[in-house]
Amino acid sequence: MSQLETDIKNLIIEALGLEDMGPDDIDSEQPLFGDGLGLDSVDALELGLAIQKRFGIKIDAEAKDTRTHFANVARLAAYVSASKAA
Amino acid sequence: MDARTGGNERFDVIQFSIDQWRAWAPGLDDADAWTRWSLAPGCVGGDPAAVPAVDFLPAMQRRRMSRLARMTFQVAWPLAEGQAPMPMVFASRHGETPRTFALLSELAERQPLSPTQFSLSVHNAIIGLWSILRGDDSEMTAIAAEGDGLEHALLEAAGLLAEGEPQVLLVIAEDRPPEAYAPWIDDVPFPYAVALRLRRGAQWTLTCDTPSADATACRWPHALNFLLTLLQGGSLCSNHWKSREWTWRRNP
Repeated sequence: MSQLETDIKNLIIEALGLEDMGPDDIDSEQPLFGDGLGLDSVDALELGLAIQKRFGIKIDAEAKDTRTHFANVARLAAYVSASKAA
Repeated sequence: MDARTGGNERFDVIQFSIDQWRAWAPGLDDADAWTRWSLAPGCVGGDPAAVPAVDFLPAMQRRRMSRLARMTFQVAWPLAEGQAPMPMVFASRHGETPRTFALLSELAERQPLSPTQFSLSVHNAIIGLWSILRGDDSEMTAIAAEGDGLEHALLEAAGLLAEGEPQVLLVIAEDRPPEAYAPWIDDVPFPYAVALRLRRGAQWTLTCDTPSADATACRWPHALNFLLTLLQGGSLCSNHWKSREWTWRRNP
């Protein structure tokens, strides 16, 4: 697991109030929404905000590929890396 | 509701019964603790930052709930368990002031608002959560009144009973305000929540009169003052607020 993935997992736990969870409880490939971790639409907004604040990147909520970037932690880490490099 | 107007427009008497009650404050989480408190009512000794466990809710469902919401669920949940769906009347004078203060602070710092804080800051957010988590689509009401929110909630509940609801859950909850508001809020001695499960009946009568010239505001918030009457087995509770003198009478 990369350091960035661990950072994102900790951010998810902290920003979304996932009591009693640690980064090891979230698999990088596990879907964040729906059947996986079980996050909902308010979590999506909250997580988007937390990612923007933490990593200083701008997320376009209207862009059609935003949904795929938030599919799981691995995709999110790749997206954050690419956005910071841009 | 027995509306004998007799030349003026106000109601005179409402009657109801209380099947069960629950209350929570820091360090006071069961009937025995409340009974001990009622023997020498004062400030509560519990950790002022205490939060009710609400561990009957899955962690994913309770994670966003404020202390005010947790207090509400802690007292109301056991009264709803095993009962048919029923309306809830939720009353809070100050509501989610910690959330609204956090949002205003973010605005002042020109920070984006937390969607979670925003969505749960409105006064009817708690009854919305209640309805979703209990799967109960009965009529749910949230009111913010002045110091006599308890009595206004009871009026609302009495209206629902008069319309044919067999039972109504009344909850009144107050959290400590954020420090910045403390100079203006003097009616929350400690965080508290009280739930009453009401039904049609004649155990209790509530009347409202014009206060006498020497009437003084009661020492405790109305809900705690009424709770004292319940705990001490008293038959009379008088709650005076501004132009309204509320009298609760236990019928013989």
